[in-house]
Amino acid sequence: MSAAEGQSKEIILRTRGVGKTFGKFVALNNISAEFSRGAITSIIGPNGAGKSTYFNLLCGAFPPTKGSVEFEGKDVTGLPQHRFAHMGIAKSFQITSVFPQLTTRENIRVGLQALVSRYDIWRPRARLTELVERADELLALVGLWESRERAAKTLAHGEQRALEIGMALASQPRLLLLDEPTAGMSPEETRTMMDLIVKLAKERTVILVEHKMKLVLGISDRILVLHHGELLAEGTPQEVRQNEAVKRVYLGQREH
Amino acid sequence: MAGLSFDLIALQLFAGLALGAIYVLFAIGLSLIFGMLTVVNFAHGAFYMVGAYVGLYLISIGGNFWICLVAVPILIGLFGLAVERVLIRPLYGRGIDYPLLLTFGLSYVMVECVRIAFGKTGYPFDTPEVLQGAVNIGVGYFPLYRLFVIGATAVVLLALWLFLEKTSFGLIIRAGARDPQIVRVLGVDVSRVWLIVFGIGTAIAGFAGLLAAPLQGVIPEMGGTILAEAFVVTVVGGMGSIGGAVLAGLLVGVVVSMTSLFAPEMAKVSIFALMAIVLIVRPQGFFGRAGLMS
Amino acid sequence: MTDATESIKEPRTATVSWYEFATRHRASIVAAVILVFPLVMPFTALAVNILIYGLYALGFNLVFGYLGLLSFGHAALFGTGAYLCGIAIVHFGWPWYAAIAAGVAGGLLMALLIGVLAIRTRGIYFAMVTMALSQCVYYLFYQAVDLTGGENGLRGINVRTIDLFGLRIDFINPMIRYYVIAAFVIAAFFVMSRILASPFGAVIEAVRENETRARASGYDVTKTRLLTFVLSGGFCGLAGALQALHLSIVPIEILHYETSGLVVMIALLGGMGTFFGPMIGAAVFLVLENVVSVWTVHWQLIVGAIFIACVLFFPAGIWGTLIARSRR
Repeated sequence: MSAAEGQSKEIILRTRGVGKTFGKFVALNNISAEFSRGAITSIIGPNGAGKSTYFNLLCGAFPPTKGSVEFEGKDVTGLPQHRFAHMGIAKSFQITSVFPQLTTRENIRVGLQALVSRYDIWRPRARLTELVERADELLALVGLWESRERAAKTLAHGEQRALEIGMALASQPRLLLLDEPTAGMSPEETRTMMDLIVKLAKERTVILVEHKMKLVLGISDRILVLHHGELLAEGTPQEVRQNEAVKRVYLGQREH
Repeated sequence: MAGLSFDLIALQLFAGLALGAIYVLFAIGLSLIFGMLTVVNFAHGAFYMVGAYVGLYLISIGGNFWICLVAVPILIGLFGLAVERVLIRPLYGRGIDYPLLLTFGLSYVMVECVRIAFGKTGYPFDTPEVLQGAVNIGVGYFPLYRLFVIGATAVVLLALWLFLEKTSFGLIIRAGARDPQIVRVLGVDVSRVWLIVFGIGTAIAGFAGLLAAPLQGVIPEMGGTILAEAFVVTVVGGMGSIGGAVLAGLLVGVVVSMTSLFAPEMAKVSIFALMAIVLIVRPQGFFGRAGLMS
Repeated sequence: MTDATESIKEPRTATVSWYEFATRHRASIVAAVILVFPLVMPFTALAVNILIYGLYALGFNLVFGYLGLLSFGHAALFGTGAYLCGIAIVHFGWPWYAAIAAGVAGGLLMALLIGVLAIRTRGIYFAMVTMALSQCVYYLFYQAVDLTGGENGLRGINVRTIDLFGLRIDFINPMIRYYVIAAFVIAAFFVMSRILASPFGAVIEAVRENETRARASGYDVTKTRLLTFVLSGGFCGLAGALQALHLSIVPIEILHYETSGLVVMIALLGGMGTFFGPMIGAAVFLVLENVVSVWTVHWQLIVGAIFIACVLFFPAGIWGTLIARSRR
């Protein structure tokens, strides 16, 4: 069933038997999966399932110990992180990661600039006006226009998360990876964030790592369930919800 | 090349080990403090120098070398405790550069105070009488005092090893060097552990200064040179690793000693070349964990 | 929420305007101050020293303040600039401008060599490795007696007159010497201002602020650091070359690790990561040294104590503290 779907849709990202060990600890074991272009795919699992490790392999934060990662048909295993960004893969961090002392606008502008100018030491950057305009558009998109001149460190938690997504979008990614984008958010902030994710997914592929299964059932096209570093199940939200193994290890627990 | 016999090379090797022993003592203190407190002690050379001067002073008021061997590390260690408590503790949590900068300033103060008390020029430091002369070690005659330096270093290392491996306090230090969080979770008063580790590290530096004094005499600037060389030892051995400091310290001593035999003018440069090679081949050092510094 | 931001912003814009003005015209302000400076300074020699060490600290501050890496090996960049300038004049008879170019090139090249090795390490390692490598440079120049004069220093850098477009300028006259050196220093400040305002200037600060984020945004952190370190080497090399012309000799102590420590002190005292900090730091530091030396030979004790107090109580330095006060 998944094979039939895989053929009908274009594959943007694929992992073949990837594994990751830290010393003797096996964090992730032999995961093969395909991600369709244009879809929202969620990776879920209880704490310690290997979600974050898998996420980090997908975005190139570190290379797998085994197996390979393919983006748009090219083998990208082991390339440095900044090359992933150039190819069109962007990520947000699980722990908020912005440039704290720069203004909100400058945060996004720096993100945009990476595609245009990385080593120009002479032209004034104020002249790159198109970057400022695009930054302002993105600020409006993620709802931070009002806070554009404030230092990023003074933003509220939810705003910083939104800023991060804005920075991730700055590199005009075809693939957007989000690591627990609603972690630590209030219910209201969470709802705003989920709406934003759905909006963003209209124009690009989104892969989402999430701890809370309930959040992603409604918006995902496809769900991968990890458990103890292994791929426990995958399928549509409907299939995953009915999967016996998933019920046992995941739904049986009380959700936090 | 008749001069370069096997015996001569073997003797030079031993001389290198004696020199390396001083590096080892200096560098384990540095590594211990860094591994635990993530403080690079730029005043470590100054503690080393003050150790030598305190020895000089104690002998001048009627003490002897054996008393110094006990009294110097205790006095320098106490001084180290005071420095950690008063100057370094306020800086925890303010970024890794600040304690480094502070200890750098402190080294200026310590060096100048010694200049005020003892003058700018150096003094010779007599080798204790029973350790004068040379003994036959099978490949030729070797200065007895250098043999003593190697032995004393071995004793300190053994004591430190027993302390770290066999006492509950040592266990805390080893756990803390691995992951400071663990110590906090265990409910141990971290600031007290840090205080004591700084005291131990500086006490060993003072002891090293005293041991080095009869080999090279004492001058106020003696700490600056060895500090740069000890950084080489730390980089080669791996930051925060005591085993690495021991191995790299001996290696650096032997490299200096061997190059001074074959190409004396390159002796000082050789250890930096060694560091360059290690940086290219294995930037985290022999025993350093990759990514520790990130 | 808009109300809240407005109320935070309102009082700020009023008091900070002078600061924004100062930032916009930062290089011109430095130029103006440098031009009138000798009129208020009693000794021109001290004024020249302040210029040269201010420039040295400016280059250092690019790495320390803007990039966020603490280097303890900048003496090697400053010293190489001085030696190459001196060697070009003494051994090869190059004209003064070519010798200055040689000094800048020396600073750039030495920064590249040290940078390639030191950038491989991270965090606190950087201070140790740069210090060790600069110590190595010290020994190398010390050994190369034929070129450098070894322990005695490189002597005989005699530039009496400077030919400029047919004009013959008397370089012995202290006031003229000041303004010739000032011309280079002012030019360097304009270049630095330009670099900081460039796209790359933004990348430097981004890497300092958050290395991981910068990498995820698509910046090569290692290359950014190396290029910044090399640029810093150019400024320090120029400072060294001017120092060689000013002193007529290059003492071997210029490569000593205290010369590295000196610039750390100046930058921290003035305010790291600020444009005016290095020059202010150099002025305060050197004037203080002059004053204190009148009544005690133990200047090192005072400077160490001041530095400890700075680290403990004023880590933002003179200019940094002023900015922070004005924003409150």
